[in-house]
Parts: sequence; C-alpha cells; structure tokens
Amino acid sequence: MTEVLLLVGILVAVFVGYNIGGATTGPAFGPAVGAGTVTKTVAAALMSVFFFIGAWTIGRRVVDTLGRELVTDPAIFTLPASITVLFFIGLALFVGNVFGVPASTSMTAVGAIAGLGLASNSLDWAVMGEIVSWWLVAPVIGFWVSAVIGRYFYAALNKRIALAQSDGPLLTVDRSGLIPVIGFGPGTTQREIVGTVIVVGIGCIMAFSSGTSNVANAIAPLVGSGALEMNVGIVIACIAVAIGAFTIARRTLDTLGNDITALPLTAAIVVATVSAILVIGLSAIGIPASFVVIATMSIIGLGWGRATRTMRASRSDISEKGPDARVSVGSLAADTEGEELPPIGEEDPEDIPAAADLFNPSTTARVVVMQNVVPLISTIGAYLVFRFVPFFGFT
Amino acid sequence: MVSRVLVPMDDSDMAATALSFACETFPAAELTVLHVAGGPTSYMGGAMSLVLSDDMDDAIAERAEPIFERAREIAAEADCAIETAVALGSPGKTIVSHADGFDLVVIGSHSGGLASRLLLGNVAETVTKNAPVPVTVVR
Repeated sequence: MTEVLLLVGILVAVFVGYNIGGATTGPAFGPAVGAGTVTKTVAAALMSVFFFIGAWTIGRRVVDTLGRELVTDPAIFTLPASITVLFFIGLALFVGNVFGVPASTSMTAVGAIAGLGLASNSLDWAVMGEIVSWWLVAPVIGFWVSAVIGRYFYAALNKRIALAQSDGPLLTVDRSGLIPVIGFGPGTTQREIVGTVIVVGIGCIMAFSSGTSNVANAIAPLVGSGALEMNVGIVIACIAVAIGAFTIARRTLDTLGNDITALPLTAAIVVATVSAILVIGLSAIGIPASFVVIATMSIIGLGWGRATRTMRASRSDISEKGPDARVSVGSLAADTEGEELPPIGEEDPEDIPAAADLFNPSTTARVVVMQNVVPLISTIGAYLVFRFVPFFGFT
Repeated sequence: MVSRVLVPMDDSDMAATALSFACETFPAAELTVLHVAGGPTSYMGGAMSLVLSDDMDDAIAERAEPIFERAREIAAEADCAIETAVALGSPGKTIVSHADGFDLVVIGSHSGGLASRLLLGNVAETVTKNAPVPVTVVR
C-alpha cells in the first residue's frame, strides 16, 4: 500500500515538474528562439541542464524551507497529505495554463503547504512571515533597479545590443561525421556571436534561477516527510522538468501571448537579468521567490524609468515649460537601436513621452491581483480540504 | 438623429459583431472605430513594449492595423464608411473619455476569457456605467 501511495506521490510530483518545465522554458528561451539563435530542441536541452544545476546547488535550500521549516512538524506530510498538496500545486498550474492566467508556482506551493499547516495547526508563522515579507520586498527592488536602468542606462545598452541578425541559422550542426561538428552559419559576424552568447546566456541564467526556486515546488512535501531522499527527489524533478521542456514547451515557445518575448530584445535581457538575479539571491537564503511578480514589476519599472527619462526638471523648468506640455497619443522618444541620444533632460519637449496613462496604479494593482488569484485558490482549497475532510485526521 | 457613432474594437468576434450591428443599424451615420492599445496584460509586457519601442506611434499603428483591416472588411460588406482612431491606456476609461462628441457608443458585450476578465473587468460594463452618451451593448 505504501509503495503504491509513494508511486502516486512521485507521479503527481512529476506532473508538477512537467508543468514547470513547460511554463518556464518560454520566458527563459523565448527571446533566443524568437531571434532564431537556437532551435527549440537546443533550448529544451539547455533548460534541462541549467535547471538541474540550479536545483542541485541552491535549490535544495528552498526544499528544506518548504519541506521542513514552513511547518513545525514535517510529520504532517503523510503520503496522502503530500499527494494532496502536490495535487493542488499541479491543478493550480494547470488551471493557470489553460486560462492564460500566469501564476507563481512558488507562491502556489507555499500557499498549499500553508493551507495544510493552518488546518493541522502546525504552520510556522515566523517562517511564513519571512517568506511573505520577501514577496513584498523583492518586487519593489526589481521595480527600482529596472527603473534606474530604464532611465539612465537603457539607451546605452540598446546601442550595444544592436544585434544585426543575418539570414540563416547562426550555428550549423554537421552530423555527417561520427561526432556532430558545430560551426558558424553563413553570414555570421563577430558582433553577432557576442550578441547571441548574451541572449542564450540570459536564457541559461533564467533556467538556472528557475531550478533554484522551483525544484522545491515539485518535491518538498515528499522530501520533507522523508518519503524521498533529497538527491533522488531532485533528480526525479529535473527529469520531469526536462520532459516538459522537450514536449509542451514547444507550444509555450510559440505562444505569441508570452509577454516577456513580446518585449524588445534589450528590455527582455534587462528584465530577465534583474529577475533571475533576485530569484537566485532569494533561493540562496532559502526563500521561494515568485518570478512572475518580480518580472512584472521589473517590466513596469523599466518602462516607467524609460518613459520618465526626459522629465528631469528643476522648478523653473516646470513653470517655464508647463504651458508647452502637450498630451497626445504616442509622442514617445524614439530609440532606434544604435541611435545617439541627447543627455537626459535635454531632449526636445516634443519627444517627451505621453504614456502616463500606461502607468496607472490601479492597472498595476489589477495585474498583481490577477497573479495572486491562483496561489490564493490553492491556499484556500488546501486549507478547506485538510480542515474538513476527515480522512486526513486534522479535524 | 444618430449621426456620430463610436465603435470601440479589440480583436474579439464580439467587437466585429458590434461593428456589423452599427453598420446595419446606422448606415448613414459617421462611424468611428476606436482601438485602445496598451491595456494591461499578464506581465504588462504589451504596454511596456509600446513604451520601449523604437517609435511609439508606429508600434501602436502596427498593433491596431489587423483590427482596422478586419473593420474595413466588415464595413465594405455592409457598404458603410468608417474612420479609425487609436488611443492609449486602460480600455474602459479610455473609451469613456473618447465618447464625448459622439451621439452613441456601440460596444460588444465581452471579449476574452478569464484572464482578460480579471485584468480588465468588463469593459462594456465600465463604458455603460460611465459614458456621457447613450451606449448600445451588442451580444
């Protein structure tokens, strides 16, 4: 009986990992695949490898937090309870994917485990408080760092990242020999190679960061209860993620609705770097981070910083230029990749962006609320099930 | 006498239905198809990519073009003339602020699925409640 339950537990964990692989490959390698620098298969392979490295090195700290510290007594992770927690995480991810509502896997997992902890009266509020504090602080950091980059460094970065893409594949693989030989495609220039290394490297860092924070979501309950050994669990989760990356990620890479890949390349690189570094940092101190929320605030910060760039103004500037301020649709300063830009505050007022409507706080609030719907459902659902279904014995 | 009609459109079928209805019902009226770009999306990437694009006007026009293309096809079928306009911001509020000077707003009852419902609320409802002119909701 126990063996059967353990097998079911592992299968549900694999389902969660599979979904993580599918959901994470898109944002991580979308820009690289979109620019035609790597194929989907290469992206999936890189995803699998770097997810594993992240999970193996730093990810185990988050597994410890979720599996052993968030609840005062890991013994509450009985196999049926673990399966139910994982089921809620998997279901929430599934619902999120089907309805196109992005949800943080980490928040969903913490929510489901917190629901179990609440119902069994064994939630460690100090750990929960620390995690939630970071969920509030990290997006704010992401916003401000990106805003500073958007305002002061974006134009210069844009210039450097001006990627002149040549036609045809960047790398060619010669499979005629025994060992495939990788060579540069026709028309590949030196500068392009540097650009490609950056784009692919960013994808790898994101895959790594996903490994550090997401491996726990698939296996923490099983490892916390001692049903699975840590290293075995990590390997199982990584295999599941790889399956997801090679299968359903093909579709998520195609989804045009993926907001991160819709960004200009420079912006995608900035957002990915800032978010990945924050996620890795939080994972290193054992905090499960919410990439979705951090990335969103980073995107908004970057846009806001960029749009307010020309607004460096002294009091006299404002009173002099006030009457000339014009509000019209889309008079945003045009940054062509590689273009020379006047220093901040010295641009023609005609170019001052009138995009204030896009930075409506209530709009941002709606987006953040939407991203919290799925974690909230998993918390409440898990609490109700563990509290009121007598089977679990917490009633 | 209804002589100036505002028809807000996104890429949904419901918006197309609204335009067909407006064309058939007010063939003599001056129809303006309005597309609001830069509304909230799941990561706010849609709006921010406009802000960060090389030329914001071009980027908005590019976003709106497929919608206007479809609008022109519908109008051609119904043999009525349309004008097009773009605006920037949250759809509900932006449509309301553009409704001044029109005699009527004709809008589809809803567009996307759960995600857009959570993000935007119901745009038609917002417009109906707040517009300064009569609103016809098409379903």
